[in-house]
Amino acid sequence: MKAIIATLVATALLLPGAALAESKEDPLESVMWSSMAGILESVNEGKIVFDDAVSVVTPSVAENQMEVPVTVDATKVGPVEKIVVVTDFNPIHHVLTYEPIDAAPYISFRVKVEQATPVRAAVLTEDGTWHVGSALVDAAGGGCTAPALSHGQEDWVSHLTKVRAKIWRYAEDQDVRLRVKIRHPMDTGLADGIPAFFMSRLEVKSPDQKVLARLDIRQPVSEHPTFTLKPHLTRNAEYLQLQGRDTDGNLVDVKVPAPNATSSTALFH
Amino acid sequence: MLTRRDTLLGGLCALAFPRIEAALAAQLSYALTAREVAPGTYVVIGKREYFTMANGGDIVNVAFIDTKDGAVVIDTGSSKRYGIALRQLVERTTGKNIVRVYNTHHHPDHFLGNQAFDPSTIASTEQVSKNINSEGEMLAENLYRLLGDWMRGTHAVTPGVVVADGEEKFGDHRFELVELKGHTNSDLVILDKNTGILFAGDLAFLDRAATTPHASLSDWQESLDTLSKVPHKLLIPGHGEPDSEGRAVTQTRDYLTWLSKTLEQALNNGLDMTEAMSVPIPERFASIALAREELERSVAHLYPGLEDRLLPYIGQGESQAL
Repeated sequence: MKAIIATLVATALLLPGAALAESKEDPLESVMWSSMAGILESVNEGKIVFDDAVSVVTPSVAENQMEVPVTVDATKVGPVEKIVVVTDFNPIHHVLTYEPIDAAPYISFRVKVEQATPVRAAVLTEDGTWHVGSALVDAAGGGCTAPALSHGQEDWVSHLTKVRAKIWRYAEDQDVRLRVKIRHPMDTGLADGIPAFFMSRLEVKSPDQKVLARLDIRQPVSEHPTFTLKPHLTRNAEYLQLQGRDTDGNLVDVKVPAPNATSSTALFH
Repeated sequence: MLTRRDTLLGGLCALAFPRIEAALAAQLSYALTAREVAPGTYVVIGKREYFTMANGGDIVNVAFIDTKDGAVVIDTGSSKRYGIALRQLVERTTGKNIVRVYNTHHHPDHFLGNQAFDPSTIASTEQVSKNINSEGEMLAENLYRLLGDWMRGTHAVTPGVVVADGEEKFGDHRFELVELKGHTNSDLVILDKNTGILFAGDLAFLDRAATTPHASLSDWQESLDTLSKVPHKLLIPGHGEPDSEGRAVTQTRDYLTWLSKTLEQALNNGLDMTEAMSVPIPERFASIALAREELERSVAHLYPGLEDRLLPYIGQGESQAL
């Protein structure tokens, strides 16, 4: 079996468009890597390197394939333009694109997985290079083609786009930590009879309307999308504004109060 | 070229597979042994492990009691194959027919051996019966993925008898049945009034981390309070060694209190799920098998619910659908 995969990978490398992956071998030896490289190429043509500096943390086994937590931390890579997250073996590969415009290159979120798959975070730096970090998630399957749990609740529409959020400041860190959870079914369009319907955009703005962080969100992000971000926030800023929309044009526009600059929390107790 | 490879592979398979299958079939048998913990009362102790191809799901404690009317069995294991091995062990040890089988709750390691027993003898609470009916096949499917051929032919069998709080008598033994909850939404606890042995199901774990896929931690703590007040000589936990010193209840309560407090603290400190999965585990839980693995699973089970409770509500978007 391994020999067959190796043959397929070797064959794939000869195809046009897969040349990007030549510089370094995919540490996970996935037969889907050339397609993933194609997605990155469509965003920005440039060198692709597999880089341990991009940390992708997931549990190795998905306890709940509808909601697999992922943390991407590219702080060690340096200034970052974009983070593109893709999953090799999901029917929809592209999970999200994150632009940490004035924020640390860090994001936590949850993803649906259809079967065991590599989860990749490709980090685009100013010189046009993609730095790719990977993690492998084992899963029972069915995350993308199962209906959202929301549809089991008769009143789900009345809860649509409800936002829970909180900001933490840390004494030793000028970044704040923003956690946000938005009620939304995030329908992939792959469950029988349920069209695609998902939060597609979220921006984090400072009180002076500067965009600090921008998220392009796709169907594989879990129901009730939940993000942890680290935007920069000046000491005297009183809130962060969250503006978002879904594919039906429903809008989110809320202000999350920031704790005053003197308060701080220790991350680990 | 493809044809040649196919032919080659086909030839290899024909050569290799019969041997592999024969080797696997020889390995796939449960070496169940009965330990007598009181005259005529036996427990079969499972490994303190998660489901693996190596253990075949032999990870749970089951028990049986030799009464004058016949044998009473408590829980049936993870697979049809396990159930058959258990039935043979019970019949060999007691020399009697099986008159009653209890399923303490609807987790797959406790009821998927049901096929080996007469359904008209299998009893559970109404809620457990409903749970097995609705989720049983799905739970079995997941175990096929984890255990492969150990599961061959296994299907969920719904208990044929519904029991509630009260007493059942078999021969010279009186069994007090109490329905509690917390590990799942219905956990049957059985006290043998003759021997003073308390079969606690998965409400009590010992030196193996408690599991929470269907848990309500607050209900579970209340049930542990109830259990600690039931006079008994020996407690058989769902996982771990039989316990005469109250360790299982104390340790399970200590672990659940820590788990609940730790997850809330992680959430209140701004941690996301992957970060909550990696918080330090106290030294006093060093003897507990699978502590890190079960913490990770518990975060997956419980953290989203905690967010819905503890993250402040900020507002709602303008919905075109409203």
